[in-house]
Amino acid sequence: MAGLTLRNVAKNYADVNVIESIDLDIKDGEFVVFVGPSGCGKSTLLRMIAGLEDITGGTIAIGDTVVNEVAPAKRGVAMVFQTYALYPHMTVYKNMAFGLKQAKTPKDEIDKRVRAAAEILEISDLLERTPRALSGGQRQRVAIGRAIVREPSVFLFDEPLSNLDAALRVQTRIEIARLHQRLGTTMIYVTHDQVEAMTLADKIVVLRGGNIEQVGSPIELYETPDNMFVAQFIGSPKMNFFKAEDLTKKGQAMLKGDVDRLGIRPEHFTTTDVKSALVVATPDLVENLGENALVHCITEGGMEFIVKTTDLTKFKQGKKIGLTADKARVLGFNSTTQKRIG
Amino acid sequence: MNAGMATIMGNRTLPRLLQTPAVVLLLAWMLVPLSMTLFFSFIRYVLNNLRKPEWTTPSIDNWRGWGNYEYVLYKAKDFWFAVENSLIIVGSIIVFTVVLGLAIAVLINRTFPGRGIVRVLLISPFFIMPAVNAVLWINMILDPVLGLNGLAIGGINNMVASLTNAPLVGWFFALWPVIEPISFRGTETSAIAVIIMVTWQWTPFAVLIFMTSLQSEDQQQKEAAILDGASAWSQFCNLTLPHLARPIAIVVMIQAIFHLSLYAEIEIVSRGNGNKNLPYLIGEFASNNIGAASATGILAVILANIVAIFLLRIVGKNLMD
Repeated sequence: MAGLTLRNVAKNYADVNVIESIDLDIKDGEFVVFVGPSGCGKSTLLRMIAGLEDITGGTIAIGDTVVNEVAPAKRGVAMVFQTYALYPHMTVYKNMAFGLKQAKTPKDEIDKRVRAAAEILEISDLLERTPRALSGGQRQRVAIGRAIVREPSVFLFDEPLSNLDAALRVQTRIEIARLHQRLGTTMIYVTHDQVEAMTLADKIVVLRGGNIEQVGSPIELYETPDNMFVAQFIGSPKMNFFKAEDLTKKGQAMLKGDVDRLGIRPEHFTTTDVKSALVVATPDLVENLGENALVHCITEGGMEFIVKTTDLTKFKQGKKIGLTADKARVLGFNSTTQKRIG
Repeated sequence: MNAGMATIMGNRTLPRLLQTPAVVLLLAWMLVPLSMTLFFSFIRYVLNNLRKPEWTTPSIDNWRGWGNYEYVLYKAKDFWFAVENSLIIVGSIIVFTVVLGLAIAVLINRTFPGRGIVRVLLISPFFIMPAVNAVLWINMILDPVLGLNGLAIGGINNMVASLTNAPLVGWFFALWPVIEPISFRGTETSAIAVIIMVTWQWTPFAVLIFMTSLQSEDQQQKEAAILDGASAWSQFCNLTLPHLARPIAIVVMIQAIFHLSLYAEIEIVSRGNGNKNLPYLIGEFASNNIGAASATGILAVILANIVAIFLLRIVGKNLMD
């Protein structure tokens, strides 16, 4: 088991900077999620840790060892790929044993470890099958099993759930969380899905354009995002930003100093009378999700935004309504620097 | 087809009726030559015989029973040699083309400048006519005097000769014998010449098939193998070879079919001298003894079927998976 230390890590292909300069500390046993929109460099960063991509600048250390020049197999990492990447011509048993066999582990030791891992993942009765005969979820388990038997100090997951259907995704997500509890190994997990990030992570790293936007626990990112990008990326539906002309007098009073945008999450709105409201809006469209509903509203300034509510009776299409939120939940931003103020 | 017709003619009758012309044509296409060959193989039938002019027309009166087969199998000296030689030539060509094809396909399956041109050049031997291929190889490359073979051996001999007078190391070169170039038209070597030239011509075919298949290989599997600590060789054996099982099967099968009927190369290299396969033997018989040629032809069909059954067993299993 080991933590990771990334110092000034950079990656460029010819003259394109994919990753500019990343500093990051990952503690031993931590579950870290790299999250960001596609093309933000999260997968590249993971592959650099794995050793599948060259590091063109800076250093990556696993434990106390700088691994820039260490062969992938010697880094003590194991990776679960998006497409599972199981060896199609080998049985599940051989798939899981392959890495140990390459390392010349004794036969009975291999057998012990493979069967133990199969036990954990409940795939003991699939060992003699080939990947072709498995369902998507089973393949996923085998891929995780292949990682477990190598007893790595760091697990790497590259969007492991994106090929599964919605129900299975939730289930597998929980299993990965359990696996982390059970093994206590450092895990790094790449995803573009902020729900996966929120539910799994001890620490989320939000990336954009090859830079870290913010690092923090899920709740920190949710409650105190550093900037407008993180504020919108974490949370679903995303945070609404209001300019002066979208706000009431009372709302405008909250724009102080450098603050020129108010950020309010859809789930934090409460209805009120027009006088004490921060925003006056006209409901336009309702998406009813059952447990709650998303009401698309239009401000007096003409901006569309979303309110999440459990009580639809207050919202009548085309009828103006006052909306407010707990002061502590209203965040101030500056639109030029994109930073959160205060 | 309306409902009334369907009941009158039955559900299957009309489709079968419509298929009939095609089936009849294909059957005739196969059966007529085959049965004629069978018939000729059981009668005395020669193109020219002054003592027995009645043998020159195919007729049931000249019935010989198994005589032609006995003659081919026991009395004519070349049959078993031709069978053995056919199998050796086909087997060697298949082994060499598959091994070379794999090596080259893997080698050029990466990006490098000029890859397009290299690929076109690699494929080009396949577009040369077999006879031209044989003439080029036997005269320009393998000829012991005028070919590259002769020139290279001559060059080495001259160099060794000139070095025998060198100070200090001269005694060492003086020990060297004068090397004789191999003549590929000889009795023992002409089969080797045929194997070399056909391998050269057919390796591109194997490369082409393997290359397209290599491009569909899953790169993430390779990355997983790298993380599992597999060396390049281990990746090749455990991932690439199983991935190529099907294309290898196709290459083996197609080449077996084609090379059992090699003719032009054998004719040009040594006119069958010391190197005959079944088609060539049939050709030799057919210059006069049609009966024996037909009997050999029937035996060749049987041999081809034995090979085909073997291949289908091995290859077919691969293709079905």
